[in-house]
Order: sequence, then C-alpha cells, then structure tokens
Amino acid sequence: MNKSADTSQPFILFELDHTTYGIPSDMVQQMEMVEQITPVPNSPSFVVGVVFSRGQVIPAIDLRVRFGFGKIAYTLRSRLIVINTNERTVGLIVDTAREFVSIPAQTIQPSPEGISSLSGKYLAGIATLGERVILILNVSELLVLPELVSERSP
Amino acid sequence: MGKKSKNQKKADNGYLEAANFQNFSASEEREKLKLEMVEIRENADRVNTVAIAIAKIAKQVSEGAESQLQLLDRTSNGINQMNKSLGETSLQAESVASSTEELVSSVNEMAASIEQVSASSAALATAVRQTVTSIQESTSNTTRVAANAQEMATSATQVIASMTQMTTSIRNVSDDTENLTVSVNQTASSMEEMTSSIGGVANNADDLTAASEETSASINEMAASIEEVSATIENLASTVEEVSTSIEEIAQSVQGVANNAEQITEVATDSATSAEQLDHSIQSINGLTQKANEITRAVGVDADKGGKTIEKAIQGLARVRESMVKSADVMRDMGKRTNEISTIVDTINLISERTNLLSLNASIEAARAGEAGRGFAVVAEEIRNLADRAAQATFDIAAIIKALQSVVQDAVSTSNDGLRIAEESGTLAEDGLSGLKQILGGVEQTTQLMNQIAIASQEQLTAGQRVVTAINTTATQAKEVAIATHEQAKTTQGIVQSTRHMRQIAQQVTQAMGEQARAARDVIKAAQNTNNLAGQIRKATFEQNKGAQQIMQAVESMRRGVISTNRALAEQSTAGEQISKESERLSQLITNVTRSMTEQSSSANQISQAVESIQTQSEQVAKAMEEQSRAVQEMNLATRSIAKQIALIRTSNLDHSEVSSNLLARIDELQTIAKNNSSGVHKTHETAQGLLSHTQALMEVLKVGI
Repeated sequence: MNKSADTSQPFILFELDHTTYGIPSDMVQQMEMVEQITPVPNSPSFVVGVVFSRGQVIPAIDLRVRFGFGKIAYTLRSRLIVINTNERTVGLIVDTAREFVSIPAQTIQPSPEGISSLSGKYLAGIATLGERVILILNVSELLVLPELVSERSP
Repeated sequence: MGKKSKNQKKADNGYLEAANFQNFSASEEREKLKLEMVEIRENADRVNTVAIAIAKIAKQVSEGAESQLQLLDRTSNGINQMNKSLGETSLQAESVASSTEELVSSVNEMAASIEQVSASSAALATAVRQTVTSIQESTSNTTRVAANAQEMATSATQVIASMTQMTTSIRNVSDDTENLTVSVNQTASSMEEMTSSIGGVANNADDLTAASEETSASINEMAASIEEVSATIENLASTVEEVSTSIEEIAQSVQGVANNAEQITEVATDSATSAEQLDHSIQSINGLTQKANEITRAVGVDADKGGKTIEKAIQGLARVRESMVKSADVMRDMGKRTNEISTIVDTINLISERTNLLSLNASIEAARAGEAGRGFAVVAEEIRNLADRAAQATFDIAAIIKALQSVVQDAVSTSNDGLRIAEESGTLAEDGLSGLKQILGGVEQTTQLMNQIAIASQEQLTAGQRVVTAINTTATQAKEVAIATHEQAKTTQGIVQSTRHMRQIAQQVTQAMGEQARAARDVIKAAQNTNNLAGQIRKATFEQNKGAQQIMQAVESMRRGVISTNRALAEQSTAGEQISKESERLSQLITNVTRSMTEQSSSANQISQAVESIQTQSEQVAKAMEEQSRAVQEMNLATRSIAKQIALIRTSNLDHSEVSSNLLARIDELQTIAKNNSSGVHKTHETAQGLLSHTQALMEVLKVGI
C-alpha cells in the first residue's frame, strides 16, 4: 500500500554511467538480464531491438543512448528493466540494477530550476538516501517516442 | 552442521511463506530460486573439493621445493670440492713446470759440458795426429841414420881391409928393405972383394938396381894404397858428420814428441775432469726426472679425483633437473585447477547475479501484492542479501584466483629459468669433465715422456761412464807415451854423445892418416934416393977406376939410408897397427850405433803403435761425444714438449677453474630461484588455505540459505 504522504515508496535503483537513478517499483513489471536481443531495422538509435520474455515481445531501449551517453558493451550486470505504463510495455537497458529500497517521500525533492528545462522533464525529483543522491526518473516522459509525438500531433 | 541457526529458521519461515503465497509468477520464481540454491550448493561443494586439491598440490610443491633446495646445497658442496682439487691440480702443474724448467737447465748444462768434452777430444785428436807425424818423421830419420850407419860399417870394413893391405904392403916393403940391406951388405963385402972381381961387382950392381927398382915399385904401391886409405877415411869422416847431424835432428824430433806427449797428457787430464762433470750432471738429471715422474703421477691422481667429483656434480644436476621438471608439472597442474576454479567461480557469479535478479523480481511482486506480500518481501530481501554476499565472495575468490594464477605463472617461468640454468650447468659440468679428461690424457702423455726420459738418462749415465773410462785409459796411455818419449830422448842424448866421440875419433884417424901419408912420402923420397944411389953405383961400376972409397962412401950412405928407411918403416908399421886398432874401435862403435838405431826403430814403432791406439781411442771418444750430443738434443726436445704439455695442462686448468666458478654462480642463481619458488609455494599454500576457509564460509552460508 503506497501512501505518498509520510510513508516510503519502494523504488528500483539502477545505475547509468556511475549515476544512481530510481523508478517506482509499481511501474516495473519484471527485471531480466540482457541476453538475446533481436535487432529491428530502421529503428531509432536508442531502440536496440526486441526481447522475448515470458511469452511477450518487449522493445528494448538503451537508456545510455537515450540520455546521450555512449553505448557500452553489455555485461553480466547489465539489466533489462521491463516497465509497464499507459498500456505500453518497454524494456530499459541499464548498466546495473541491484537495489530495491524504500525511499521516504520527504527525502524526495523536486529537481532544481536550472536543469528542469533541458532534461528536467525526465526527472521527477531528486532523492537523498544517506550520502547518496538518487535521480528519480519520470517514466512516462521517457516513454514518449518521436513517432508517438508525430502520432499525437495531428 | 545439524543445528538450526537463526538464518536457517528464517529460511524455513520464508519457505513456508513462499509455500502459502499463491501468485503464479512468485511460485515460479520460488521454484527457480530453489533450483538456483541447489546449484549454488553443488558448485560450492565442487569449489571446496578443488580448494582441498589445491591445498594438497601446494603442499606437494612445497615439499618438492624443499628437496630441490637440499639437492642444490649438496651440488654446491660438490662443486666447491671440485674447485679445491682444481686449485691443487693447478699448483702441482706449476711445480711440474718448474721442475721441467730445472730439467731443461740441467740438460743445457749437460750439453755445454758435452761440448767441452768434444772440444777437448778434438784437441786431443789433433795433438795425437801431430805426435803421429813427429813420430813418423823421427822413424824416417832413424831409418836414414840406420842406413848411414850401415854405410859407415861397410866403409869401416873397407878401411880395415885397406889397412891390412897396407900392413902387408909395408911388411913387403920391410922384407924388401931387408933384402936391400942384405944386398948392400953383400955389395959392401963384394966391394971389399972388388978388387978381386969387378965383373962380380957389375953383377951385384945389376942385382942391386933390380932390387931397388922392385923396392921402388912396392913403395909406389904402398903410397897408392895409403892414398886410397886416406880417401876412404875422408869419406868416413864425412859420413860420420852426416850421421851426427841426423842424430841431432832425431834428438830434436824426439824432444818435440816429448813436448807433444806432455800436451797430450794435459789435454787428457782436462778431458777426464770434463767427463767427471758430465757424469755428475747426468746423475742430477736422473734425480730430477725421478722427481718429475712422481709429481706427474700425483697430478694424474688428482685429475682423476677431480673427474669423479665432476661426475657426482653432473649426477646431482641431473637430479635437480628432474625435480625442476616435476615441480614445473605440478605448477602446470595447479594452473589447470585454478582455471577450473575460475570457470566454477564464473558460474557461481552468474548464479548470484540471477539470484539477485530473482530477488528483485520477487520484491517487485511482493510490493505489488501489498500487505499480503510483506512477508515475502522480507524473504526476498534476505535472498538479495545472500546473493550480494555470494557475489562479494566470488569477487574475492576471483581476485585470489588471479593472484594465484600470476604466482603460478611466475613459478612456472622461474622453474623454466631454473631448468634452463640446470641444463646449462649440466653442459658446463660436462665441459669440465671433458677438460679434466684432456688433463688426464696430457698427464698420461707426460708420464710416458718422463719414463722415456728416465730410460734415456739411464743410458746416458752408462754411456757417460764408458766415456769416462775411455778418457782415463787415454790419459794413462798418454802418460805412458810421455814416459817412453822421455826415455827415448835420454837414449838419443846418449847416441848424440857417442856420435861426438865418433867424430873425434874420425878426426884423429884423419890426422894419423895425414902423418902416415907424410911418412909414406918420406919413404918414397928415401926409396928414390936409394934408386938414385943405385944408379950412381951403376955409374960408379962403369967408373971403377975413380975410386973404391967413393964406392965405399956411397955404400956407407946407402947403408945409412937403408937403416933410416927401416926405422921409418918400423914407425910406419906401428902407426899402421895403431890405425888398425882405431879402425876396429870405430867398427865397434858403428855396430853399437847400428844396434841403438835398431832399438830406436823398434821403440819408435812401439810409440807409433801406442799413438795409433790413442788416435783410435780419441776417435771413439769423439764418436761417443757425438752420440751424447744427439741424445742431449733429443732430451732437449722431449723436455720442450713436456714444457708445452704442462703449459696446455695449465691453460685447461685455468679454463676449468673458470668453468667451475661459472657453475658455482649458476648454482647460486638456482638456489635463489629455488628459494623464491619455495616462498611462492608457501604463499600459494596460504592462499589456498584462505580460499578453503572462504569456500567453507560460503558453503555454510549457502547451507543456511537452503
């Protein structure tokens, strides 16, 4: 039971380029290791292909490419985070995802003004967990794809 | 291991909760989790066994390294011993070299003394030759003198014959003069009877004339014979002069021979002393060769010992090599096991990652389930913790394994180095062994040469002794020759004196003959007077009438003349007898001289023979010296070759020393490598122990987990 007022919410923490990000766990359907990706031709650069998992075909997005970092090789620690929002299921490829923590709501601060305009739409806020800084991702914004934009805009 | 710990209880609870939980995906997750845990456990078991195996291997390797160290120590000791024996061999080779040098110098001295003896023998030979020629001259002189003496003897006999003839003719004259006296007396008596018969006087005067003519003829014969005798005696005098001069020459030549004999004696004495020196040097050489022989034998024994030590060292190195190979194999084995561990660790890593993923998924599902999934969420949390710890453990294990692998790699490379160095040491030791064998061969050759030198110097000794005896014989013979020539000289002096006497006698005879001639002329004059008187008497018979007194006076003066003629004839007779006696004495002296000449001749022959034998002896001595010279040259060559051999032995000894010091350096390197190896193996052992404890902890944890 999630109460965003004074209780903590469970987050899945993952790392991208030594930066810790977090997404709420209720958005996460499952987590897999990055194994067999079937590339799809003529797709945007951050869409590396599709993955078959639990009887489902899930598109895989490389979050590093999405965020503009360089693409690196997939290791044993690379994870595919399958998120499920707005009736859409997408897989996010991250460097590593090993933690499931409950973050109290009061520790989450909104993102500062300076960065809101550029990548701020991706950040729902910034949480502090002890000494650590965790960037909370806005998953819905993440799932806005260019063709969807073109779809949406009439 | 049978106790239920807190974790185990939790795990049991979690299991129950998981069993109560109805979500399909969660149960699937549960199943997967169970399987994964079982796998983890199995893998942990495997890791445990492998870690135990590694520990065993590390222990074996450690023991092997220890035994290697011991082997290396022993080998090092062996090589130190070898070094010492090499040093001793080197010292002995040097002492052999110095003895050989002494030998060479003694041989050179011997050669010098041989040359001296040769020179003395050559001088001796020339002196002998001179003596031979002088003796030959004196022999020829003696033969000449003998011939002259023969001539003198014949002349003397001729003189005697002439003297007898003269005596007979004088006697004839004496007889005739007596006849004349008788006739004169008859004439005188007839004169007194003259008056009686002039006819008888005339006959008597004719008789007288005939008688006085006969007397005159015989007196002429006497004069002629006296002239012959005088001539013969002059010949004799000249012959005596010749003989005298020849004998003086003989005396000079004999003196010369005596001087030569003195020189020969001196030379022979010198040769004797040189021969003694030669004898001394040969004996000293003998002693030196004996010493050198002993030294060479000792060197051979030491080289043998050195060879055996090197063989032991080679065996030790072979054993070291074997142990190195074994430790290399063990290292490789360990490397393989660590690789196996690596793969297992990778599997464990994968499992822990999957476990983590599963736990996250479980947490997500539990969160989605809300209140009902709280218990499950806790279990999932625990599982995640476990997975993290497993991941940490595998990370540590991976680091340890990497360290282990690098240690194994170092150990393999160092053992390869060690192997290479052991092989190099092996080849060095074999080189050393071949060098020692060469030394042994050189020592054997030197021993053979020493034996040959010993035999040669023995022969030299006997030959030198023979030479000494020959020279001594020559010296004594030369002394005898000197004595003989001295005696010869004395005899010759006696002969000289006899010839002087002979000269004096010849002069006296000549004087006597001169007086004889004068007396003969007086006689002739008296005979002529008598002839004249007889003529006058004949005239007077034709002048009978002139006076019987004149006839008587004439007869008286005739008588007086006859008497003086008698006296002169008597004197002549005595002088002739004296001359006869002197001629007999001369004849005896001549026979004496002839005898002494023959004696001289025979003694000269003896001397000649003695000198010939001396000559032959000196020739022999010269030949012996030549042989000695040759022998000395051979000895020189032999000693030079020995010196070369010894120089070779020295150089191979030096090479050997270098080789053995190289060996020692290598073995030091080997020792340090083995020590490093040993420490590495110890580290590995400790690491294996750490690994073992880690895996045991992991196993405990995993057992709790299930």
